[in-house]
Amino acid sequence: MDYFVEAPQELTTEYIGFLRYCVPVLTALLLLRCALPLLTFRREPEIWAWLNMPDGNQIPITHWETVIGRSKGSDVTIELSTVSRNHAVLTRYDDGSWTITDAGSKGGTFVNGKNVQICALEPGDRISIGGVEMRLQPITERQEERQAQLRTKAASGWDGVINLMLLTILQCLMLLGFMLKCQREDFISVLQGFGGIILSQWTLFIFYAIIRRKSFELETMAFFLCTMGMAAIATVRPDETVKQMMALILGVVVFLVIGWFLRDLERAKRFRYLAVAAGVGFLLITLVFGTEYYGAKNWLIINGMSLQPSELSKVCFVFAGTSTMDRIVNKRNLFLFIAYSIVICALLAVMNDFGTALIFFCAFLVIAYLRSGSVGTIALAITALGFAGVLALQIAPHALQRFTTWRHVWEDPLSGGYQQTRALMCIAAGGLLGLGPEGGLLQYVFAADSDIVFATISEEWGLLTAVMTVVCILVFSLFTIRTVRVARSSFYSIGACTAASVLLIQTILNCLGTVDILPFTGVTFPFVSNGGTSMIGAWGLLAFVKAADTRQNASFAVRLAKKGGSKD
Amino acid sequence: MNRITKRTWLMGLFIMILVGGMLFFLGEYMFCASDWVIFSGSPHIYNGTNIGFGTVTDRSGDVLLDLTDGRTYSDNSLTRKSTLHWLGDRDGYISASAVSNYAGEMAGFDRVSGIYNASGEGGVATLTLSAQIQNAALEAMGNRKGTIGVYNYQTGEILCAVSTPTYDPDNVPDIASDETGAYNGVYLNRFIQSSYVPGSIYKIVTTAAALDCVPDIEQMSFTCNGKLEYGTEAVTCEKAHGTQNLKRAFANSCNCAFAQVAELIGKKNMVQYVEAFGVADSITFDGITTAAGKYDVSEAAPVSFAWSCIGQYNDLVNPASYMAFMGAIAGGGSGARPYIVSNVTSGGKTTYQAKTEESGDLLSAETAAVLQSYMRNNVQSVYGDWNFPGLSVCAKSGTSQLGGDQAPNAMFAGFVQNEEYPLAFIIVVENGGYGSHTCVPILSKVLAACKNVMDGE
Repeated sequence: MDYFVEAPQELTTEYIGFLRYCVPVLTALLLLRCALPLLTFRREPEIWAWLNMPDGNQIPITHWETVIGRSKGSDVTIELSTVSRNHAVLTRYDDGSWTITDAGSKGGTFVNGKNVQICALEPGDRISIGGVEMRLQPITERQEERQAQLRTKAASGWDGVINLMLLTILQCLMLLGFMLKCQREDFISVLQGFGGIILSQWTLFIFYAIIRRKSFELETMAFFLCTMGMAAIATVRPDETVKQMMALILGVVVFLVIGWFLRDLERAKRFRYLAVAAGVGFLLITLVFGTEYYGAKNWLIINGMSLQPSELSKVCFVFAGTSTMDRIVNKRNLFLFIAYSIVICALLAVMNDFGTALIFFCAFLVIAYLRSGSVGTIALAITALGFAGVLALQIAPHALQRFTTWRHVWEDPLSGGYQQTRALMCIAAGGLLGLGPEGGLLQYVFAADSDIVFATISEEWGLLTAVMTVVCILVFSLFTIRTVRVARSSFYSIGACTAASVLLIQTILNCLGTVDILPFTGVTFPFVSNGGTSMIGAWGLLAFVKAADTRQNASFAVRLAKKGGSKD
Repeated sequence: MNRITKRTWLMGLFIMILVGGMLFFLGEYMFCASDWVIFSGSPHIYNGTNIGFGTVTDRSGDVLLDLTDGRTYSDNSLTRKSTLHWLGDRDGYISASAVSNYAGEMAGFDRVSGIYNASGEGGVATLTLSAQIQNAALEAMGNRKGTIGVYNYQTGEILCAVSTPTYDPDNVPDIASDETGAYNGVYLNRFIQSSYVPGSIYKIVTTAAALDCVPDIEQMSFTCNGKLEYGTEAVTCEKAHGTQNLKRAFANSCNCAFAQVAELIGKKNMVQYVEAFGVADSITFDGITTAAGKYDVSEAAPVSFAWSCIGQYNDLVNPASYMAFMGAIAGGGSGARPYIVSNVTSGGKTTYQAKTEESGDLLSAETAAVLQSYMRNNVQSVYGDWNFPGLSVCAKSGTSQLGGDQAPNAMFAGFVQNEEYPLAFIIVVENGGYGSHTCVPILSKVLAACKNVMDGE
């Protein structure tokens, strides 16, 4: 065999022995350094205005959208029978201006004595709700500047550099392992793949430094996941590393573009309609021009490139689901969204893509619950899914087979349980520390770099490292839960929650499906699985999480605070 | 806004599913990973249907099979043939279950390192077999079909277990288009996978039962006129043996006398003794469960019951299982359980070491002692002690009738009494004709080889 480097056998063996311990230790260190600031930052509300009540009380307004009403869930509760449960919504805009919108109240909302539906507020305007008079007093620019300076800082720039250095060391060590074990032509493509990741992570970091953004933890973890995915591809299909690397670069671009759209709430709201149309459009195009692979018609082949547009539809769906408070209190918007979801699900059903349909359904649940807060609605939706599921199993028996083998894979190790049993065998063979690069044999099993990539990573890099890839996704979710508390607009809260949920659900279905804890659905592992569109989709979703990060100078998807009164 | 942020608990639900599922999986990994890794078809352990990993040696350390890079058998053609049924073939027709049973130990699996430590060189499984004895046994069998088993009834080590016909895996004959019948059942390991009509070697079982349950049986005498009639049917001998005591009848292998002994024992007792001795049961060692024997007289007429005590009727025994019974008699009522894998090492560590297990008392010490003297008498007075120089062999022959125009199977079972050669054996030669005539020369060569090997250790 033609190896790239003619290293002595003992040296290779010793190096792999070292690498087995080194990778989990470095990964744990990296994860700890990235996760701690994300999970422990002080969540302090930003105060944007004061609401002066007739009794002299000043109520702080801590979000850009504030519901005033009788119900306990309102942000400002006025317990008077003349006030409707959701009476009015105060909204702040990017430029610091405010409006008040009547939320279909019985008594109406009055500004300076005039009954209004929606009205721009000037400082000192008298607002009257159910007979209670109040005045909105926005904070001054100077106060705003002071507030921004006092906010919890994201990690210092040096922390980001150290984290990224750690990741780069990890990548280089892994690459060296491949160099010792790979054949010459394979190694060149592996080098290109890893090199592409290293280059894009530093480019993004430097770009952040230029635009004075400091939080790079989420990105570092995402690049780590991409690295592990690249390692799996390097073993399974070394000829596809370059393709995956290109997808990663495209993904980062999409991440930046979506983040840029989300920066400006008004722009994002306009862009939302385009996204809604694109979501359906992607699916329709696939349905018309798509190719059927393995039972699901969800592939589009253009010039020999195979795309899975439903992965991009997920990002559009998250966009479609987001909404601002003034619209949320209006029930009609939810029905529109339900109708939209039904269209999407119907399209997926026709495409026979049940794995993706399940992800959309879960995303729908998250959005519907966040917007309505109604457990009853969710129960109804789940019941509907149950019926639809039974119907689907009648129509598509191949889906039923997955359920019959579930938790019985060892009884059917040669057909229905083939991939899962091989995955478990190889996870066990790899142990906690793995067999090293190119040491695995799962690569010969179908979809070793996508549907069962968790097992491929576990076999070669160890169960510890594989579990830590799952922990990365968990950290994304936990961070999202923490940060949406202080998000400015419900548009960002809903977007971040849904995006993080989609990442989480895909990870659940992929990893737990591989190890036979859940039925095997063939869903991709975000950032890790081989697949260009899946990679782009994952980065697109991460942009929504970034947009909810309001720590000082943390996120490129959030505008910098104004400096000394200068206009942004 | 507040109400939306409060509703994010829903995400906590998904987080709990992922964390719970992962923890559940890690628990499964803790308890089941050692089973997963050696499950049939495991890519790191198996190559097709057989284990594809490590090295298998005989008791003296001679490499029988190297699995590290494909399947490299011994460089001795005779050894390749004589050990094939324990090592498995390249095409997966013969499965080496004993070796596969220790796949995990050979792989040196542990939960932390997986199979990493052994992935370079692979583990070594040492069999209790001796290639030298295997080859002697194969040569003695010639091109006859059957099996020879010899084991140490004090330790349990199987020194010899040959199954014929066999073939050279490095020079595979055209088995599929063979029409001579020379390769009938070639993929079968007859020692563990076959059951045979025992014929007169079953008289050992009947004698043991009679000694135990019929008072003063040794003082009784039995008359043989060459035929004992049961209505229209009869139990017959080749000649009239006249009047004999039990010991003489056993040496003469007198069917008529044993038909009378059978009546004295009675059906109910006989069934209980067969069960207690375990001769109709399968035995289990190293992950192998042998074929079961059979003793079913629930619908037997008196003549059939009589034949069942002579090892005919519908009686069946498995060679390995019957050999273990011989070991129990030799051991004074209890013998070691046979096994074939001596130890497994992986990455310089011993990952498996066989331990001697006693069968427990199958028969009383007194009965065993009398049986020993009877079987010793057989060799001295009938089979010829000179065939086994330096060994005090105890045995019983059998010529099991198969019906039709098939030549009978030649059977021979027994043990060596010498303290330094504690060996029990069984020989089956299919269609081999008269038991002692066929088997004694074979046994003579095999025991000589055993003695030679044991002297060298």
